[in-house]
Amino acid sequence: MTSLQKAENRHEGYAARLLRKTFSRWSARIGAAWIALLAVVAVFAPFLANSRPLWVSVGGHGYSPLLQGLTWADIGWLAAFFGALLLWSLPLRFGQRLLGLLAIILIASLIGKAALKPRTIEIYEQYREQAAQYDEVIYTLVPYSPRDYQRDRGDTGFQPPSREHWFGTEENGADTLSRMIHASRVALSIGFVATGIALVIGVFIGGLMGYFSGLFDIIGMRVVEIFEAIPTLFLLLTFVAFFGRNLYIMMVIIGLTSWTGYTRYLRAEFLKLRDQDYVQAARAAGLPLGSILFRHMLPNGVAPVLVGASFGVASAILAEATLSFLGLGLVDAPSWGQMLFQAVRFSSFNWWMAVFPGGAIFFTVFAYNLIGDALRDAIDPHLSTVEE
Amino acid sequence: MLSYILRRLLLMIPTLLGITIVVFATMALSPGGITAQSLVDDFGMNPQEKAALEAYYNKRYGLDKPAPVQYLRWLNNVSPIGFEVSEEGTLGRFSWRKGIDLGESFLYGRPVSQILAERVPITLLLNVLTIPIIYLISIAVGVRAATDRGGRFDITSSIVMLALWSIPTMLTGVLLIGFFASEQYWHWFPPSGLSSLEAARMPFLPHWERFADVARLLGGMLAGFAAGAALAQWRNRTGRIIVAVLVGLLCATGMIDALPHEFSWVAWFWTALLLGGVFYATAGSDYPALRLVAFAFFGLCLGGALGAQWGASGFVRGFLLDRLWHLVLPVFCLAYGGFAFLARLTRSAVLENLQADYARTARAKGVPEKEVLWAHVFRNSLLPLITVFAALLPGLLGGSVIVETLFSIDGMGKLAVEAVKGRDREMVLSITLISGFLTLVGYLLADLLYAAADPRVSYD
Repeated sequence: MTSLQKAENRHEGYAARLLRKTFSRWSARIGAAWIALLAVVAVFAPFLANSRPLWVSVGGHGYSPLLQGLTWADIGWLAAFFGALLLWSLPLRFGQRLLGLLAIILIASLIGKAALKPRTIEIYEQYREQAAQYDEVIYTLVPYSPRDYQRDRGDTGFQPPSREHWFGTEENGADTLSRMIHASRVALSIGFVATGIALVIGVFIGGLMGYFSGLFDIIGMRVVEIFEAIPTLFLLLTFVAFFGRNLYIMMVIIGLTSWTGYTRYLRAEFLKLRDQDYVQAARAAGLPLGSILFRHMLPNGVAPVLVGASFGVASAILAEATLSFLGLGLVDAPSWGQMLFQAVRFSSFNWWMAVFPGGAIFFTVFAYNLIGDALRDAIDPHLSTVEE
Repeated sequence: MLSYILRRLLLMIPTLLGITIVVFATMALSPGGITAQSLVDDFGMNPQEKAALEAYYNKRYGLDKPAPVQYLRWLNNVSPIGFEVSEEGTLGRFSWRKGIDLGESFLYGRPVSQILAERVPITLLLNVLTIPIIYLISIAVGVRAATDRGGRFDITSSIVMLALWSIPTMLTGVLLIGFFASEQYWHWFPPSGLSSLEAARMPFLPHWERFADVARLLGGMLAGFAAGAALAQWRNRTGRIIVAVLVGLLCATGMIDALPHEFSWVAWFWTALLLGGVFYATAGSDYPALRLVAFAFFGLCLGGALGAQWGASGFVRGFLLDRLWHLVLPVFCLAYGGFAFLARLTRSAVLENLQADYARTARAKGVPEKEVLWAHVFRNSLLPLITVFAALLPGLLGGSVIVETLFSIDGMGKLAVEAVKGRDREMVLSITLISGFLTLVGYLLADLLYAAADPRVSYD
C-alpha cells in the first residue's frame, strides 16, 4: 500500500475500515462468495428449477409458462434483489437504504399478492405430456419443480443420483436438487430475519440497560439470565411444538430465543461508553434519548454485536435445520433439515439425502462463521492468526 | 464465602420462577392450550365415557381452573415448603417439610420423578464420557496453536476447528449411522440403543475361549501400536507422507472390498481421497504429539481388528465392551462440536497470556520456555476453560437432544422431545426446572472454581 492510499484510508469511517480489514482475508471472501451465490440461487430459484418450461411455442404462438406461474413470494424476492442493487448504488445512508429496501419488498409483495391469482392445484405433469406438441421449448436448468412428484412416471421415490436427477429424488419422488434450490430461500431468510429480530430486541434492551444501569440493569439481567438458563434448543422445541410450524412463526421464535447474547455485549459496551465525554456532551446539549443512544453511542459500541450477529445467522440456520430434523420443522415448504431427516427415517440409508442437503447446511453455516471470525479479528487483531 | 453461596442460592429462586413462568405461559397461551379435551384421545369412545374421562383429568390435574391458579398449584406441589394437598385436591395446612412432588406425566401415567430417575443417569453417562475427551483434545490443540501463532499448525487447526464447529450434529450422526452402522455399507457399530438384547445375559468382562486368541489380539494391537508410533517418529517428512498415504489407500481398498455390493471405482475414489487426505495431513503435520497419538491409535485399532479376525471362535463380548461399543458413535457426535469450540477458546486464552508482561518477565530471568508455558501461562489460561465448563453442561444437554433422538438412546434429551411433542405439561415443566437448576448451579460452580483458581478473585 502506498503512503498516499494510507493517507486516504485515514479518512474512511470506522465501518468502512472494518469491512476492508475483514474482507482482506481470503477465508472471509470465500464465505461471502458462498453467501452471494446462495442469494442469487434463492432469488432466481424459479428460473433455475421449474417444471414449467421457460419458453414454449406452439404453432407460431410463443409464451412462457414459467412467468405465468410466478407467485407473490417470487415477486418479493426479485424486488428485494433488484431493490438492493439499486439502493446500494445510490448515495444513501445505511438506515435509509434498509428502510427503502423493506418498503420495496413490502410494496412488491402486496402488488404481487393483489395482481396474481393463486393457483390451488398445479399440474406439472402436463408440461411433460404435451412436450411432443411443442414446436420449440426451452427448459430451465433443472426441469422439475420442488413439489413435482412425477406421478406420470410411476414410483420415483428415493432414486439415487442419475443423469435425470443429479442429486437423486426424495421420498415422494420429487427432485432433490430442485427442492434444495428452493429451500435456500428458507435458509437465507430465516438466518437474516431471525437474527434481525434478535438484534432489535437485544440492542434495545441491552442499550437501555447499559445506559441507565441501576435498577433497570438488575431487573434486565435477571430476565437475560432466565432466558439463558433454559437450554435454547429446549425453549425452541417448546415454542414450536405449541405455536405451530410456519416460516414466519419460526423466524419470530428463533429470534425470541436468541437475543440474550446481543443484550450482554451491548450492555457491557454501553456501561463503558456512558461516562465518555462525548456522551456527556450530548446529554448536556439536551439531545433526545433516542439520539444519544442510537446516533452517538450505538455506532461506537456495535462492533462486538456485529460479530455475534454473524455467528447468530449461522446458528439460526442450524436451529431451523435441527427443528426440521426433529420432525418439528416447516410443513409448507421444503427445507434442508427436513431432507436430511429423510436420509435415515426409512429402513434404508439414502446417502444422497444426507450428503447434499447436509453439505449445503454445512457450507452455509461455515461461510457465516468464517465471516464472523474474520470480523472479530478485524475488531480485535491482537489474537488473530495473522501477525500484523 | 458461605454467605456468598447462600446469597447466590437465594437469587436462584426468582430466576427459576421466571423460567417456569416463561415455559408455563408458552404452553397456556398456545392455540388450544392444554385442556382435558386435548388429552383425551376420543377414538371409539361414547360421549359419556369421554365426559367421564375429561372430568377425571380435570380433577386429577386441575385443568379446568384458570391458568394462573394452575401454575400456583403446580408451584405449591414442587416447592419443598408449602400447603399440603389432600387426595381431593383441596389445600390443607401449611407445612415446612411436605416434600417435592413433580406430579404425574400425562404421557406415561407414572410419576415424573420416577421417569427422570431412569433417564438422567443415561444422559450423565454420555456427558461424563464426553467432557474429558473434549478438554483433552482442545487443550492439546489450543496450546499448540497458540505457541505456533501464525504457523502452519495454527492456521490449519483454526480453519479445521471452525469447520468442525460448523458441521451440524445431525449431519454427522446421519452419516455415521448410514455408513458405519447400516447393513448397506460397513456394519461396524450398532445403529441404536445402549446395549444389545443379549448383553443382559453376558458376563461383565469380555471372555475368550482359548488363550491363543487373546495373545493374537494383544499381539496385533501391540504390533499396530509400535508400527504407528514408529511411523509418527520418523524424521523424514516426505517418507512419512508417502508411507502414510500408501497405508491410507490400502485401507480404503480394503474397506471398499468389504462392502456388501460390487466393487465400484466411484466409491473407491471418494474413500481413498478422504482417507488419503486425512493421512496426508496428519503425516505432514509438524506437531509430533498429534502424529504420535493419531498413528498409534490407528495402528492399535487396525492391529486389534486384524488380530481378532484370525481367531474369532468362542468370543463373548461381555456387557462392558458391548456398552462401550454402543457408545462410540454417540460420544463422537457429542464431542467434536465441543472440542472444536473449546480449542479456539484455549488458543486465545493461552495466546493472551503468552503476550502478558509476567510471561516476558519469566523469560527475561531465564526460565525455560516450556516452564513459562506450563507453569505460568497455562495455569492462568485455565480461567476461561473453567467458565466454559458451566456453559458446556447445559449445552451438552441440548446437544444430546439430537444425538439421543438419532441413536434412540432413552436419556433426558429424547425424553424432552417426546414430552414437548406429546404436550406432557408436568414433564416439560419438570425438565425445564431441572435443566434450569443445573445451569444455574453450573454458573455458581464456575464462579467458585474461578475464585479457587485465581487468588485475586474473592467474593467476601
